Amino acid sequence: MDDVGLRTWWAICISAGSIFLTLVSIYLYADSRKSHRKNVRVHADVASLVKAFVFVWVLLGLLVFYIFSVNLGSLYVFAAGNIIVEAILIAYLFRNRTDRSEQT
Amino acid sequence: MAGVFAELKQAVIILSMIALSVILGFYNEYKAEKIVENLKHNVSIKALVTRNGKALQIDSRLLVPGDLVSVYVGDIAPADMRIVKSKNLETDEATFTGESFPVEKTSDRLDLQAPIPQQLTNYLFMGTVVVHGSGQGIIVSTGKNTELGSISKSLVRSHPETEFQKGVRKYGNMLITLTLALTIGIFSLNYAIGHFWLDSLLFSLAVAVGLVPELMPAIVTISLAQGASKMAKVKVIVKRLVSIEDFGNMDVLCTDKTGTLTEGTVVLGECRPLGEEDDPRVLSYSLLCNSAAVGEEIVGNPMDAAIWEYAIKNDAQENIKAYTKVDEIPFDYQRRVMSVVVKKNDGHTLISKGAPESIFARCTSAEIDGKIQPMDSVLKAINAKFSNLSELGYRLLALAFRPIEAKTSYSVEDEADLTLLGFLIFTDPPKKDAHQAVDRLKSMGVDMKILTGDNELVAKTICDELKVPVKRVICGPDLTQMSWTEIKTSVEETTIFARITPEQKLDIIKALKANGHVVGYMGDGVNDAPALYEADVGLSVDTAVDVAKEAADIVLLEKDLLVLTDGINEGRKIFGNTIKYVLMGTSSNFGNMFSAAAASIFLPFLPMLPMQILFMNLLYDIANMTLPTDNVDEEYIKHPKRWDIGFVRKYTLFFGPFSSLYDFLTYGIMLFIFGATTPAMQSLFQSGWFVESFWTEVLVMFVIRTRRIPFFTSRPGKWLTLLTLSCVAFGTILPFTFLGGFLGFAPLPPEYWGLLVLMVVTYLLLVDAGKVFFYKICKFGGSDR
Repeated sequence: MDDVGLRTWWAICISAGSIFLTLVSIYLYADSRKSHRKNVRVHADVASLVKAFVFVWVLLGLLVFYIFSVNLGSLYVFAAGNIIVEAILIAYLFRNRTDRSEQT
Repeated sequence: MAGVFAELKQAVIILSMIALSVILGFYNEYKAEKIVENLKHNVSIKALVTRNGKALQIDSRLLVPGDLVSVYVGDIAPADMRIVKSKNLETDEATFTGESFPVEKTSDRLDLQAPIPQQLTNYLFMGTVVVHGSGQGIIVSTGKNTELGSISKSLVRSHPETEFQKGVRKYGNMLITLTLALTIGIFSLNYAIGHFWLDSLLFSLAVAVGLVPELMPAIVTISLAQGASKMAKVKVIVKRLVSIEDFGNMDVLCTDKTGTLTEGTVVLGECRPLGEEDDPRVLSYSLLCNSAAVGEEIVGNPMDAAIWEYAIKNDAQENIKAYTKVDEIPFDYQRRVMSVVVKKNDGHTLISKGAPESIFARCTSAEIDGKIQPMDSVLKAINAKFSNLSELGYRLLALAFRPIEAKTSYSVEDEADLTLLGFLIFTDPPKKDAHQAVDRLKSMGVDMKILTGDNELVAKTICDELKVPVKRVICGPDLTQMSWTEIKTSVEETTIFARITPEQKLDIIKALKANGHVVGYMGDGVNDAPALYEADVGLSVDTAVDVAKEAADIVLLEKDLLVLTDGINEGRKIFGNTIKYVLMGTSSNFGNMFSAAAASIFLPFLPMLPMQILFMNLLYDIANMTLPTDNVDEEYIKHPKRWDIGFVRKYTLFFGPFSSLYDFLTYGIMLFIFGATTPAMQSLFQSGWFVESFWTEVLVMFVIRTRRIPFFTSRPGKWLTLLTLSCVAFGTILPFTFLGGFLGFAPLPPEYWGLLVLMVVTYLLLVDAGKVFFYKICKFGGSDR
């Protein structure tokens, strides 16, 4: 397989992995709403959906970034991008763990 | 070498498993035989039989239905028999029916519809002990056809599968399906795209092996053994290791009343005069009118002994020193009264003590708050009080007296014109720590149900004393009328099952299990043995009869119910660590193997050699060896947990792809940043992926092991941390070593390490963010997270 073919295959694989994870997340979210709806009325507006899927947005962002930086072949771009994503994730995790028990 | 080593490892694991299965099988067989032996030992006794008019003493095994057998004090009933003659006959049926007071037996005919054993006062049951009087009975059934025999029959079978074992089996099935699908899929794909068939086969098999958490039996056994050792320190002996996890997961505890919730002994609870004012004569007179022999030990009738114990405890035994005993009219079962004549100064007093109705019949007056009132005017009120207390499970003796003239001898005729003074109220008190234990169990999410041979009011009284909320009470005869479906429904809302037989105890446990509960049963009598055997966790105490102890999975060496809660906590910790391994192993293995399969399609070489996969697997397993010592978060052990294959599946489906994603990223880095695109460069590629894969697979353990913030609010166990980091260090330097070269690895460039650290940190943070989504947003993980 030539370099272009390899790059294409690789991009397909990593994209497929990310999309699979996104689909699984959507499925799990829908599944959880279905079971919770039996007991509680759940209103899922757009804002709450966007908030609920923050981790998926980060994931899809990462996918684009990884494909871009790896194709670019730049260590610095890759390193800088990772650090930014890590900062975003740390902020997200702290926001979501404000309760005393620290349970996720 | 690595291949040989890997194969050797597999061989050792398989052989260990076979050896373990054989040992377990042997142990179970041995245990079943021992139970039967104990039963035989319990009932192998001599009997005095009358055949053809001749009295013979024969081995009880030679008795046949129709034989006429005589029993005396101290005899153990050799078979189930219908009493035809009795003289003051009393038996101790505590170990059989759970009744702590001696039971009076007569030959009187009974008119009962579908009676339960404890209602049959004209029957003697095999194994029960004659504690008073004598009797004769015709044998109705012998050996395995007796009530005791039917209990032994239910024990001669293998232990039913516990809830934990069921979970492991389902998990195994899930893995087999997944492994088969992946193996066939990977082999077919690799072969289809032109890889050599043997390479494809080896690769697909290595992937399959990588997916199997083969260390699970070891992790479980180590966890269980450590748990058993910790529990032994609090005097809880685990006889069947596998029951520990069910002990922790138990959400319903069924318990016998006598001897487990109560002390199982007769205790004088109160000396109650008829009025409101206290009257010390009630105790003094009952000490004087008493047949117990008081020396270093108090010996005699349990109730008389209990009176003395009460007096000694309350420092009241000196009160009778002023009295001299003149005469005694002994107790007999016709009168059901005992009397004494005592002398104080120059006055003589006759004191009578006995069954309330017998004493009432001999009274013409009653002393209420110092005033003598005619018996007729107060009898109704006194009778109501007496009935009320009796129904609540208290045993009562009444006390009466009258001044009597001095004479040379006294007879039963003198037991007349008495003045009723008060009652002695006997009880089988709840254990001191029972209330605290019940409270703790409740807070731990364990629902308590009482299964007793006693009547419902007695059981209700104990529940009230222990503050156990009673939702519903069902009696044995009502249970007999119910269909299986009705039983299954009613067990959910019932707290007390009263007047039930051992078979019904078994049905209740089966119904609770069928409803999906993990059921514990605590008992100490012969009648508890089948239930102890059937329950997911059978609990008994050291003072229990041998058969009950043999049938139990866990034995409490001290009658301290609080150790139960310690044991439950331990069980929950062990289950927690086992589930951690399952979740980590399945999800990260699944992810890694999935990416290996995908890579094998588009790469011109294998992403990792089979021996490299197996070596990584071995290293990962070593890192996990100390998992049983890991800390478990407080909130995890608050409530019972269950195996939930649906949850494991969702978990694998969600967390598995994270690992795949970072594997793909590593492929990209190795291919397009470090240029490892040709078979000549495959060692570099494989080394890069090996290290990344190993780092992510092992380090994610710190994130997944808790729902809290790793390290900050949930510290991993120190041995786990040490061993894990050591394994990571070893995996890191491996490509630079001789062994690494042997395994086909190549040294990695310095830039790789920088990228690796960044990548792994992002990965761990992303997984932690995934936890927020999975647990907080989707709210999964109700039961076995």
